[in-house]
Amino acid sequence: MELDKAQSGGERANEARRGSGPAALLPATIVVRLEALVRDVRTVLNDFTGARPAPYSVREPLARHLIAVTPEPSPGITPRRLRVTRVVRETKDAVSLTLTDPEGRRITFVPGQFFTVLVTLASGEVLRRAYSISSLPDEDGAAAEVTITIKRMPGGRASNHLNERVAEGDVLDVLGPSGNFIVTPDPAARRHLVLIAGGSGITPLASITRTTLAREPESRVSLVYGNRGEADVIFRESLESLARDHADRFTLRHVLSDPPEGFTGRTGLLDHDNVTRELDAIAASSGLDADAAEYYVCGPEPMMIAAREALLARGVEPARIHEERFSAPARRTTPELPKASALVEIRLRGRTKIVSAAPGQTLLEAGLGASLPMPFSCTMGGCGVCKVKLLSGNVTSEEPNCLHEEERSQGFVLACVSHAAAPCTVEVP
Amino acid sequence: MFDTSRLTRFLPPRMQSQIDAYFEALDVLLSVKDPKVLGALGPSGVRGLILHRGKQGTPTDMPATHVAHFDWTYPSDQPEMADLYRRAKVGQWNGDDLPWHTSVDPFDPERPLIPEEFLSFEEIEALGIKIDKNERTQLSYSMCAWMLSQFLHGEQGALFAAAQVTEAVQFFDGKLYGATQVMDEGRHVEVFNRYLDTKLHKLYQINDNLFVIIDSLMTDGRWDMKFLGMQIMVEGLALGAFGTLYKLTKEPLLKELLKMVIQDEARHVHYGVCALREHFTKYITERERQEREDWAFEVALLMRNRFAAYEVYDEWFEGRMTRAQWRGVVDRSKGMVEFRTTMFSRLVPNLREIGLLSPRIMPRYEEAGLMRYFGGLAADKLTADKLLADLH
Ligand code: FES
Ligand SMILES: [Fe+2]
Ligand SMILES: [Fe+2]
Repeated sequence: MELDKAQSGGERANEARRGSGPAALLPATIVVRLEALVRDVRTVLNDFTGARPAPYSVREPLARHLIAVTPEPSPGITPRRLRVTRVVRETKDAVSLTLTDPEGRRITFVPGQFFTVLVTLASGEVLRRAYSISSLPDEDGAAAEVTITIKRMPGGRASNHLNERVAEGDVLDVLGPSGNFIVTPDPAARRHLVLIAGGSGITPLASITRTTLAREPESRVSLVYGNRGEADVIFRESLESLARDHADRFTLRHVLSDPPEGFTGRTGLLDHDNVTRELDAIAASSGLDADAAEYYVCGPEPMMIAAREALLARGVEPARIHEERFSAPARRTTPELPKASALVEIRLRGRTKIVSAAPGQTLLEAGLGASLPMPFSCTMGGCGVCKVKLLSGNVTSEEPNCLHEEERSQGFVLACVSHAAAPCTVEVP
Repeated sequence: MFDTSRLTRFLPPRMQSQIDAYFEALDVLLSVKDPKVLGALGPSGVRGLILHRGKQGTPTDMPATHVAHFDWTYPSDQPEMADLYRRAKVGQWNGDDLPWHTSVDPFDPERPLIPEEFLSFEEIEALGIKIDKNERTQLSYSMCAWMLSQFLHGEQGALFAAAQVTEAVQFFDGKLYGATQVMDEGRHVEVFNRYLDTKLHKLYQINDNLFVIIDSLMTDGRWDMKFLGMQIMVEGLALGAFGTLYKLTKEPLLKELLKMVIQDEARHVHYGVCALREHFTKYITERERQEREDWAFEVALLMRNRFAAYEVYDEWFEGRMTRAQWRGVVDRSKGMVEFRTTMFSRLVPNLREIGLLSPRIMPRYEEAGLMRYFGGLAADKLTADKLLADLH
């Protein structure tokens, strides 16, 4: 690409100015002028010899163009309807649904993001669940179809419904895509993505793996993937074929706690020791350059904790560790809802409005109901877009959610999963 | 200008077209009658046309010579500009909101980027060059990517020039307004760059003539010359070009993108007319006014005659036809005729409005066939809606 050449040319010129050779003896301004003169003369000569550069260069989408954007808040929470065009059973407990827009609008997303799926049960109750996209977008950052993968949770009402009831041609209501657990493809990047997945935590990492291998020719991916038995491995074949096609850049390492006969990979759970051993193995085979490696972790809570500890113990900078948690709804605590409505003062970009939040209404719903353009994306505590600062008063929030410790201590709460327990004032950052 | 190929036809094609290019450059410089104007355009001409500074494969540094003008009393001096500032603030839009999910296939016959007849294929074939169906769509794609590349380069110029003008302008309300224009131009760079990178995957080098205009106004120290160059000439050129493509393209994302950009540009030209009308009619000598009048005319000619898409010629036809033949093909192509009409129907009334189209210079405009645009509406009377409606 033309631009790259220009950059490296510039770097070289800088080195020449600092470095050795006769140029080092001259004042920098003169060197700059001389260089410009040489370029001018060369350009004129090239005009005659025909050695001019091509009049155009081929361009690829830059990371700048593909970075996730928060959708403009619409006046209310209006889901988007997508049609199920394919149902693929991945394992006996996991199903992939391929979705397209009935009007043919392509879907923009960044690898690693998830949809909030609104599941309406036979009883009429609507459940909201986050499911990550496992497919990859086209080069321009959008795709005509996206695939989400749903693993059945024991007793999970939404995941069982989606695994058993959904058929081709059905429509699903979704919000998003949302989430910051993303890798924005950058054709110029040279990075090493180390992905640690447990069970259904593979979904966002599968999208990241596929996209990175397809769009970043200089980057490498190492995936450590923990499961019980071989039959539980989601995307087993497609991952293996990726490993064959990109043998030089993609390492796939299975860890099984209940391995079949003849399994040669590591056995056991992805605990502190096993994660450490796996990382050692990656370091030994392909190197783990501290400046190029980024770590993405997604899976069950004990595995996430173990992986984090293991990474920190190796001296990995916390900023290089990226985590995605989807708490099993069974473990989620919905606090006692306030019984009376409360007044909420919402400050947003210099505007202030006092709204009344009915019992059962979240801060987000109350604000949107009063036509305040409050930002949100997933509406279920998973993306952080709706965070607001609690200036006074009291709220109760569903836990766990995606707020970081630091944000919590600064007084942030998530408007989409918080209810006013007393009159309060919040500010949209 | 004469066809140099008669003299050079025994040379290798590369050299033939180089000699034609030099003659063309010489022709540009010699046609400038006023020595002061030549002084202002000449060095830029050399840097652009001979040294191809924009094509050297390295970033270009252009020294600035203008003066940043501060006013510590913050006067409310130009109500019309204050009004433009208010409108510009509410008129801001987010480039991310364009329908980027649209999938763009440059070769889709249902939604062509530019119509078949934009370039005249018959004229090319009349020169004995066969171009089949497939090559026609490829060539149209090149032509469109070339135009959008020049828009992008022009927007980069506009971004920096708008920043300079904001520093240099003497009206305080103009400075506030100028800040919004800087933002606008930044957004224009963003969206054209994104369209080229993610949808067309092709970026052409900056055209030498466009480089000359940008170089000349970036390095001129006089704020009103910058204004004239930027807000009237380049913006006029932009409106002509964007308007033409907006009208002709069937690609929905590009159409929407251009529509949004045109609405911004309409404000920019309006600002230029406001600022210069005041200045040229009240604050400068007749000699200075004449110099500006001549400069504007030369640049107008440069814009009319010289945007011949030589970069597309280099890619497609070098050695198959002469540069002069290509110039003829482009000159007579439907798309270019349309472009010139749109551009001059905007530009000429604006020059009249700011007092740079006096009877003294009219004969030269007449000679160049540009006087028929004299009666149109100037930018201060033209709303964005009207402007877009004209393009349907
Ligand atoms: S909207 Fe995603 S956390 Fe609230
Ligand atoms: Fe612009
Ligand atoms: Fe502009």
